Amino acid sequence: MSPQPQAAVGVPLSRVDGRLKVTGKARYAAEFDVDGVVHAVIVDASIGRGRITGVDTRDAEAHPGVLRVIHHGNAPKLPYRDNPGSNNLPGRRLRVFQDDKVLFHGQPVAVVVATTLEAAQHGASLVKVRYEAEQPSTDLAEAKAGEPTEYARGDAEAGLRDSAVRMDLTYRMARNHHNPMETHATIARWDGNKLTVWDKTQWVVGTQTELSTVFDVPLDSVRVINPFVGGAFGSGLRCWPHTVVAALAAREMKRPVKVVLTRKQMYFGTGFRPRYEYRLSLGSDRRGRLKATVHEIDAETSSYETFEEAIMLAGQMFYSTPNVSQAYRKVPLDVNSPIWMRGPGFANASFAIESAMDELAHRLRVDPIELRLRNEPAEDESNNLPWSTRRLRECYTVGAREFGWHRHNPKPRARRDGDWLVGLGMAAAVYDPNNMEAHARARLNADGTAVVEAAASDMGPGTYTSQTQVAADALGLTMRAVTFRLGDSLYPQTPPHGGSMTMMCVGSANLDACNKIRRQAIKLAVEDEASPLYGAKAEDIVVRSGRLHVQGNPARGETYQRLLTRNNLTHLEADGSWSGPQDPERHSYYSYGAVFTEVGVDAALGLVRVRRMLGVYDCGRIVSPKLADSQALGGMVGGIGQALLEHTVTDHRDGRIVNADLAGYLVPVNADIPEIKAIYLEGEDMQADPLGVKGVGEIVQVGVASAIANAVFNATGRRIRELPITAEALL
Amino acid sequence: MHPFSLTKAANTREALNAGRKGGRYIAGGTTLVDLMRETVERPETLVDISDLPLREVSVTERGGLRIGALVSMAESAAHPKVRSLFPVVSEALELSASAQLRNMATIGGNIMQRTRCTYFRDVTADCNKREPGSGCAALHGFNRMHAILGASDVCVATHPSDVAVAFAALEATVHLLGPDGERTVPFADFLLRPGNTPNREQALRKGELITAVEIPALPRPLKSGYLKVRDRQSYEFALTSAAVALHIRSGVIREAKVAAGGVGTVPWKLPAVEKHLVGERPSESLWAAAAERAADGARPLDHNRFKVALLKRTVERQLRIVGGTK
Repeated sequence: MSPQPQAAVGVPLSRVDGRLKVTGKARYAAEFDVDGVVHAVIVDASIGRGRITGVDTRDAEAHPGVLRVIHHGNAPKLPYRDNPGSNNLPGRRLRVFQDDKVLFHGQPVAVVVATTLEAAQHGASLVKVRYEAEQPSTDLAEAKAGEPTEYARGDAEAGLRDSAVRMDLTYRMARNHHNPMETHATIARWDGNKLTVWDKTQWVVGTQTELSTVFDVPLDSVRVINPFVGGAFGSGLRCWPHTVVAALAAREMKRPVKVVLTRKQMYFGTGFRPRYEYRLSLGSDRRGRLKATVHEIDAETSSYETFEEAIMLAGQMFYSTPNVSQAYRKVPLDVNSPIWMRGPGFANASFAIESAMDELAHRLRVDPIELRLRNEPAEDESNNLPWSTRRLRECYTVGAREFGWHRHNPKPRARRDGDWLVGLGMAAAVYDPNNMEAHARARLNADGTAVVEAAASDMGPGTYTSQTQVAADALGLTMRAVTFRLGDSLYPQTPPHGGSMTMMCVGSANLDACNKIRRQAIKLAVEDEASPLYGAKAEDIVVRSGRLHVQGNPARGETYQRLLTRNNLTHLEADGSWSGPQDPERHSYYSYGAVFTEVGVDAALGLVRVRRMLGVYDCGRIVSPKLADSQALGGMVGGIGQALLEHTVTDHRDGRIVNADLAGYLVPVNADIPEIKAIYLEGEDMQADPLGVKGVGEIVQVGVASAIANAVFNATGRRIRELPITAEALL
Repeated sequence: MHPFSLTKAANTREALNAGRKGGRYIAGGTTLVDLMRETVERPETLVDISDLPLREVSVTERGGLRIGALVSMAESAAHPKVRSLFPVVSEALELSASAQLRNMATIGGNIMQRTRCTYFRDVTADCNKREPGSGCAALHGFNRMHAILGASDVCVATHPSDVAVAFAALEATVHLLGPDGERTVPFADFLLRPGNTPNREQALRKGELITAVEIPALPRPLKSGYLKVRDRQSYEFALTSAAVALHIRSGVIREAKVAAGGVGTVPWKLPAVEKHLVGERPSESLWAAAAERAADGARPLDHNRFKVALLKRTVERQLRIVGGTK
């Protein structure tokens, strides 16, 4: 942080953009008024694999209002240059309308452009596409895996052999979709060779680089704008085909074009959390100390790209284990490419590992928390680095106390409430906050207001608010005097808004820029004979509410306004940056947590209802407590969905997703959400970054599904190793 | 959505005229408009009947209840007479859909609603109900939510309504008005099993309009209630459900009305269960023995085998909730 007093950071403030949102004035991608815009609706492939043998557009084109139908037979060839700096996955990205191949059910095969949305929709239903269909391969359980990514230390097989206790367990996790409220949308407009795009994205810079490479135009001739995101959970982490479709259609039509995906199209037009099979063998001594673990992990990916996420890390670093071996196999299927989803990797790894630890605890008759404490590592055993901060023990202690863990009866089926069996469960959580280079630019105006700009995003966690808090304190201004702007690729570059890195990376760059300005102003004052601060020591000066003064002597000082005006300065400006990870790293940085839950199970009817839940988190400094609390509640709700409801179902006969809407893909509703509570341990991690933060948004979904599954076991004696946990598994 | 024209009927005569010419009636539109958006339904003409005088709930001379076709689900559920005479109807309605939908949707529309079968709702899939002769993708597809009772080889879709299960249990009648005048159809005959014509779902003649649903009088005291088992606690269709009404006098069950939802191609009346109950004294073992008959004739599919056991347990549970244990 800085020597500045903290007036905003750490204070539970409401969202600075809350009023805009509740009054409908916050403009989302599809809502921008762009003169002359026409509407485009994408036609999705209705086969799971094969080729297009013909596209009959006559009826569509005859429909009043339809301007054109674009498909592989008439679309221009696009350069599709490589884009190594993006979130594109290894492989060959899907190229829209460039050939006759169908790689998955729902792939865009044509687009209908019309003067009205209704005409475009109807036109799309009139396009007749003929196919030569092949049998798609979409079943993880049936398909052949690719080459594994491996990790090993010690001799895991020998470790297992020599262990007094050995368990071989298989966990399965369904495919999940993000389902943000706002569906993905793009408006694209070309002015000569310059392209402006309003796009729902968690990374305007990512969309900018992708469009620049797809169309082979200079980076600075593409501008991407997206000030508000109506939820994303990862679905906006890369530029999807429909964004290219919008830009392609706009160029062909020589008019701005808007594409809004339907809810159904969100199931194959954007990514998903892949389905997993996680086979875990663990060996321990009779006291439960782990000797060896073997992790065999299979996950879905597409036939054209290889999706990887941090599924392996938890198995390497979380518990002290001398012998570990892991093989992570990506199974190419005739599906669209997956993408990161909240708590990526860890939310699934933890279901396997934390369920297994619960199974081990039960088998050894050891309290689940005690078992975990017996396996606490002194350092990160995957790289022998010391922890920056790891306050997991405190998470357990605080959580156990606040939740009433002493009421946990290790014997299943011990507690009953009418028709409900009641059980308690807990799980540990961990997340590796990402860390990448970021920039920000700050400007302090002579009127005492300031603006900070960064090409960041706010998909809901409250970036606008928390970054304003950081800037306000660093500049010594009130929240009102500071405006934080984001969501425009013209602003200084930032990493993707995901991976729990926005506060660490953008926040540190923002802090850097604002600290520079404050120091400039202080330098100006102490060197200015006309200033009451002339001759004072720079390090003794603080700024509060826009007034610089000597610490401990508030009378001696002056405002930014006076200082800048007297010096004939319209403003002070500074660029700030965060350089990303140290090289080499000196510490191992993770966020931690412990999740406790009580569930009721109506065993006769196969119903699971979460009755209460508590998450205790070690996330370093909490910049914006009210919003961090909302993050935790949202993450836990997401975890309840993952545990009990969320499941994208594919019909393997033709690769169709059969529940591609919110009636078929269930997410929790209010009635499913009981009393849930989050506690963040007070503190900071100054090894991690100048703000002392470790990231909040991802970890809060981790551990929830395993805590629920463990509670279901405690309630019923039934160990469910497959997500979601549904009635048929419990009957 | 395919282009269509919309007319508003000022009175019943106008509505019937438009209906006779092939117009589709629309009231709350909560099902029809959805399906039009998906192009599952492609009506050329819609006839808005929301101005017709069919918004009354009244007690019949003999103590039954007549609910006008245009009474909203929310109004029906909250109506004091419905609540006091037939709680099973109120409960079934309140456990349906969402508050917003219940405010829009009508009783007549509710019993006309079409299946939630995902293949029916996806125009690129084979569906005999939507496109006779095209095949049934659900039969060997993902059929967890589908019927275990009343299905045929050409269609296994469930009827999604909750309140229709209560109506079936209570042996309601449907009042119809057509070009040839009024008639009433027993509820059991109104909704049709798929057989070889799953596209034909109701015993409606061309242009006929539902004017009311009438629940016959039942001996009092009558206890009744509805249990809905579903994956999430609100805004979701039933895996299984049970509507139960019992008339118990002097400790003996004199009348039993039982039907199940979420399991049949139509709301599934359970006469074998009813028969098992009548003349007996309430007990845990009676409920279990009666419920054992709930899945008689069930033919489960690949993904809904669990429904056989779940149905029995749902009926058993609801018998106990309504009938008590002693």
